[in-house]
Amino acid sequence: MELLKIKNLSFTYPNCDKKALDGIDLSIEKGGFYLLCGYTGSGKTTLLKLLKPETAPFGEKTGEIEYSDVFGSEVSPFDIGFVSQDPNEQTVTDKVWHELTFGLENMGLSKKEIRLKTGEAASYFGIAEKFNCSTDSLSGGEKQLLTLAGAVVTNPKLLILDEPTSQLDPITAVSFIDTIRRVNRDFGITVIIAEHRLEDVFSLADRVIAMDAGKKIACDTPENVCSLLKDSRLFMGFPSSARIWRDSGSSGRCPVSVREGKAFIKEIFGEHIAEYVPEKSEINESPEALNVKGVWFRYEKDLPDVLRDFSLSVKKGEIFGILGSNGVGKTTLLKVLAGLNKPYSGKIRVFDKKIEDYKRGALYKSCVALLPQDPKTVFIKSTVREDLEDILINCGAKKDDARKKAEETAAGFGITELLGKNPYDLSGGERQKCAMIKLLLTDPEIIMLDEPTKGLDAYSKNRLIELLNSLKNEGKTIIAVTHDIEFAAAVSSRTALLFDGELIAEGEPREFFKANTFYTTAAYRIANENIKNAVFCSEVCAAVKEYTGKNE
Amino acid sequence: MNKKIISYLIVFLGIPAVVLLGNTVFSGVKYVWFMIAVSVLSTVPFVISFEKKEHSVTYLLLIAALTALSVMGRLIFVAVPAFKPVTAMVVITAVYFGPEAGFLTGAFSALLSNFYFGQGPWTAFQMAAWGLIGFVIGLMRNRLKQSRALLCVAGAVSGVVYSLVMDVWDAIFADGTVLWSRYVSFLATSAPFTVIYAVSTLVFLLLLEKPIGKKLQRIKDKYGI
Amino acid sequence: MPKEKRFFREGGRRVVKAFAKFHPVTLFAYFAVILLFSMFIRNPVTVCLSLLGGAAFCSTLTNKREKLDDIKFYIPLTVLIAITNPLISHNGKTPLFFLNGNAFTLESIYYGVFIALMIIAVRMWSKSYSRIVTSDKFLYLFGRFAPKTALILSVALRYVPMMKAQAKKIKDAQKTLGLYSKGSYADNVVSTVKVYSALIGWSLENAVETGKNMKARGWGHGKRTSFSSFRFRAADAVVLVLLAVFSAAMLISLRTGRLAFSFYPEPTALPADPVSVFAYVCFALLSFIPFFIESEENIRWNCLRSKT
Repeated sequence: MELLKIKNLSFTYPNCDKKALDGIDLSIEKGGFYLLCGYTGSGKTTLLKLLKPETAPFGEKTGEIEYSDVFGSEVSPFDIGFVSQDPNEQTVTDKVWHELTFGLENMGLSKKEIRLKTGEAASYFGIAEKFNCSTDSLSGGEKQLLTLAGAVVTNPKLLILDEPTSQLDPITAVSFIDTIRRVNRDFGITVIIAEHRLEDVFSLADRVIAMDAGKKIACDTPENVCSLLKDSRLFMGFPSSARIWRDSGSSGRCPVSVREGKAFIKEIFGEHIAEYVPEKSEINESPEALNVKGVWFRYEKDLPDVLRDFSLSVKKGEIFGILGSNGVGKTTLLKVLAGLNKPYSGKIRVFDKKIEDYKRGALYKSCVALLPQDPKTVFIKSTVREDLEDILINCGAKKDDARKKAEETAAGFGITELLGKNPYDLSGGERQKCAMIKLLLTDPEIIMLDEPTKGLDAYSKNRLIELLNSLKNEGKTIIAVTHDIEFAAAVSSRTALLFDGELIAEGEPREFFKANTFYTTAAYRIANENIKNAVFCSEVCAAVKEYTGKNE
Repeated sequence: MNKKIISYLIVFLGIPAVVLLGNTVFSGVKYVWFMIAVSVLSTVPFVISFEKKEHSVTYLLLIAALTALSVMGRLIFVAVPAFKPVTAMVVITAVYFGPEAGFLTGAFSALLSNFYFGQGPWTAFQMAAWGLIGFVIGLMRNRLKQSRALLCVAGAVSGVVYSLVMDVWDAIFADGTVLWSRYVSFLATSAPFTVIYAVSTLVFLLLLEKPIGKKLQRIKDKYGI
Repeated sequence: MPKEKRFFREGGRRVVKAFAKFHPVTLFAYFAVILLFSMFIRNPVTVCLSLLGGAAFCSTLTNKREKLDDIKFYIPLTVLIAITNPLISHNGKTPLFFLNGNAFTLESIYYGVFIALMIIAVRMWSKSYSRIVTSDKFLYLFGRFAPKTALILSVALRYVPMMKAQAKKIKDAQKTLGLYSKGSYADNVVSTVKVYSALIGWSLENAVETGKNMKARGWGHGKRTSFSSFRFRAADAVVLVLLAVFSAAMLISLRTGRLAFSFYPEPTALPADPVSVFAYVCFALLSFIPFFIESEENIRWNCLRSKT
C-alpha cells in the first residue's frame, strides 16, 4: 500500500539560482525501509524536510506531495517523526522522562496514558534506568536513542532520519541502525533514512534512493542500485563489497554486505589462495617531531587514569593514525599531546624540547596545531574571512597584509567563494576545510586532528585525504585520532590502537590491519581468506583481476 | 482598558500601595516582609502579561538561550570576583528585544543562577532587581540604540544600581528594620565590588553589544523572526 | 563548582532522600513557612530551634567535607558579626568601652550573635531547599500557572550544562590558536570575552534549531497537557495538616505578643508563660519534621537489615 507519493517535486531556496530539488518522482510504500544516499548538497535534507509540513523550509516549491488516507485529512506533527544529525539540538528539556513525554503532552493526552506510553517506550528502547537522569548526563549515542524514542512514542506512521549516526562512533552507529530496523520490523513504521556511512545500512534497506544534484538518479533494491549506478561518482561511498565487485569487472549479482562479499570472493577463488605484493614503502629517517615517555594522566585526583605509562614517538613528515573505540581517551590523549591537559607524570618533548619549556603560547606559534572534533569551535567571528584575518593578525601580520594573505590562501585552497559566508552556513565538509585552513595559517609543524572524518561524505573524505597527503609531502607531521578505520588505513604511514591508556599495537598500516580481526578494513575482512596482504578494495581488485586474467 | 496598561498600573501603583498599607497595618519592623512581598508582586504582572500574549517558539527559545548565557557568564567568569556579564546581558537583551524580554531575562537569570549558587529568600529580591533593570532599559531602548555613549552610561548605572539594591537587601535582612549605619557599612565594604561591577558591566557592554547585535540580526535575517 | 554538579546528579545516581519523596506542594509549603518564621520571629528561642532543626536536616544531605566547610565558614561569621555589630549599632545599656566616643555595648554583641544565628538558620534551610526542591519540582509547581515561563526555565536549565561543555571546547580550540597566550590579567579577560562571544553565536543558532524541533514535535499544536510523576499521598496530607496546626499556633502566639523579645536597651526576659512554651514546642516540632522523617526511614532500614 502506498503511504505517500511525490510528484514532480522541485524546490528553490530564496536568493538561489540553482534548484535544490529538480523534478523528484517517488512513491513510498507503507512499512518500507528506505535508504536515501547522495553527497552533501545533493538535496537529501531538503527532500526529507519537505516531507514533514512543520520542517518544510521557505522557498519556491512546485510539484506535489500526496499523503495517503492513512494520515487523515490533515498531516499532524505526530504522524511523522523526524530525527536529525545533532542530538544536542534536538533535546528540548533537561530530564530524560520529560523528553519522552514532550510529544505526548503536546498531543494533549491524559496523565495516565502518558505514564503508560512512556513506561513502555523507556523499556523498549532500554533507557528505563536513565529515566530520571538529566539529559545532559547521557552520551551522544544515548541522546540520539532518546530522540528516536521521543519520536516513536507518539506512534508515527512515518519516521524520517537525516544522517542520524553522523555524530556517533561506528559501533554505536551500528546499534542505532539496528534499533531503527527493529522499530521498522516490530511496528511496521515506514522509515526513510539518509546516511553517508553506507557500509552497514546498505544491505538492510528494502529500497535505496540515490540522489545527485537535486535529482533522483535511482530507486531500487540495493543490488539493482549498484548495477544501475556502476559509473556514477556516488559509487565511491558504497560498501566495500560493492566497490570490489565493480572494480573487478562487475560480473554476476552485486554483493552488498561483508558476508555476501566473502561469498563473492570465494566463488572466484575457490580454494586458491592468492597474494597481493605491495610496493616496498620507504623508511622515514627524519628526526623525531614528538617524543612521549611514560606519561600518566587523569582528570581529577579521585578519577581513574586515562593514560597509563603512555609512550609514543612520531617522526617528522609522518602521518600517525591512532585508532580506538569511544571513551577510550583519544581526545584526552590529543589534548595531552597538544599541551592542553597536563600529565601528572612523564615527559613530552616537541622537536627535542620539553613541552613545559614552550612558554606563553610559544607551543602554538608555528609549532603545534589541533583541529578539534567540532570545527565550529574554531570560528569566533561572523564570516570565514574575518576569522582568517583575525588569526593572521594574532600571528603578528599587519591589517592590510592579513587581508591580502587571507585572500591568497583562500584562492590557493579554492575556497574564495566561502570567504563571505558565516561559518554556521557551511556544510560539514566545507566548514572542516575552512577550520583546517585557519589552523594552517599559524604555520604549524605538527598538526593534530581529532576525528577529522566525523560527518563527512565519501567525496569530502577523499578530498581530506588528498590535503593531508600534500601536507605530508611538505614535511608536516600529522597525528590523527579516529575511529574511522578505512580512513586511518588510507592515510596513515603508521597506525596504532589505543586501549586501556596505552598504545597496544603499532605498525605500518598493512601490518597493523593484517594482524587485527575486528579493527581492520572491510576489504580485508572480505578477502583475507583468499587473498593475503590485501587491505584496500583496490588491492583486492588487483588480485582478483590478476587471478581471473591468468585463468582465462 | 488595555491589558498592558493594567499591568503597568499594578507595577507603578499597586506596589507602593502594598508598601504603604503594610506600613500602617504592621508594626514598622517588618521590612523584610515588605521586600519579599514587593519583589514577588512586581514579577507577577510581567509573568501574567507574558503568559497571555502570543509568542513564537523561537522567541521563547531565544529568551531561554539569553538567560542561560547570562547564567553561563556568571559561571564562566567565576574566577574573576564581581566581574560578571549578567547585567550587561540583561541590558543588551532589553535593548534588542524590548522591556518584556529585558524583564524576563533579568528575572529568570536570577532565579536560574540561584539553582547553582543557592536559592533563598533573596531570590525574589534579586529577580525583581534584575528584572526591573531590564524593564527600564527596555523602555528607553530607542534612545539607547541611537547613542552608544548613553548606552554605556545606562549600563554602568545599572551595574551600580544592582549593587546598591542588593546592599539594601543585606542591610535590612540583618536588622529587620532600616538602620542607616548598617547600610552605610555594607556600602563601604562592598564599594570595591560595586566599582568593579559597574566597570565590568561597561566593559561587557562595549565588547558584546555589537557582536550580539550582529548575531541577533543574522538570526532575524536567516530565519525570518 | 561542586554545588552544581550535585544538583544535576540528583534523581539519577544519588539515593533519593525520604523528605524529597513528598509532593512538591507539601515541600514548597513547608519551606516557605519555616523560612518565613525563621526570618520574621525575632525571638532567640525560635531562632535557635530553627537553626537546630535546619542544621540537623542539612546534615543528612551533606557529606563530611561539606559539613566541615560549613562549620569553618559559619563560626568565624558569627564571631565577625558579633564583633562588628557594636561598631555599627551603639544601642544598649551596658557599655564595655568607648571607641571614638561611641559605646561598644554588650547588648549589641548579643544582638550580633542573634543576627548571625538567624542568617545561618536561613542559609541552612535555603540550602536544604535547593537540594530538595529541585528544578523539576519547581517547574511542576509553577508550570501549571505559567507554562511558557516553565518552558523557558526548563530549556534554559538544559542549556547551561550544555553551554558549559561547549565553552570548554571553544576555549581549548582557541588556546591552540593563540588566545590566552600572554598570561596577563587583561589578556585573560579579553580571551574569555572572545570565547563567550563565540558561545553566544553558537547558542543562538542552537536555540533556533531547538525551536524548529519543538514545532516538529507538535509544540503549539492544540491544547497541551502537562505530565508529572508526582503523587499526593496520605503522608503529604499529614504533613500539611501538621504544618497548618503548628503555623496557626505560632501565628496566634505572635499576634498576642507571647513571643515578643527585644535586645535594646537591655535584653527583656524570655517569655516563658504556658502559651509561649506551647508555641516553642510547636515550633520545635515544626523545625524537626524533615529530620524526623529522614531519621525514621534510617531506623526502619536498620531494623530491616538487622532482621535479615
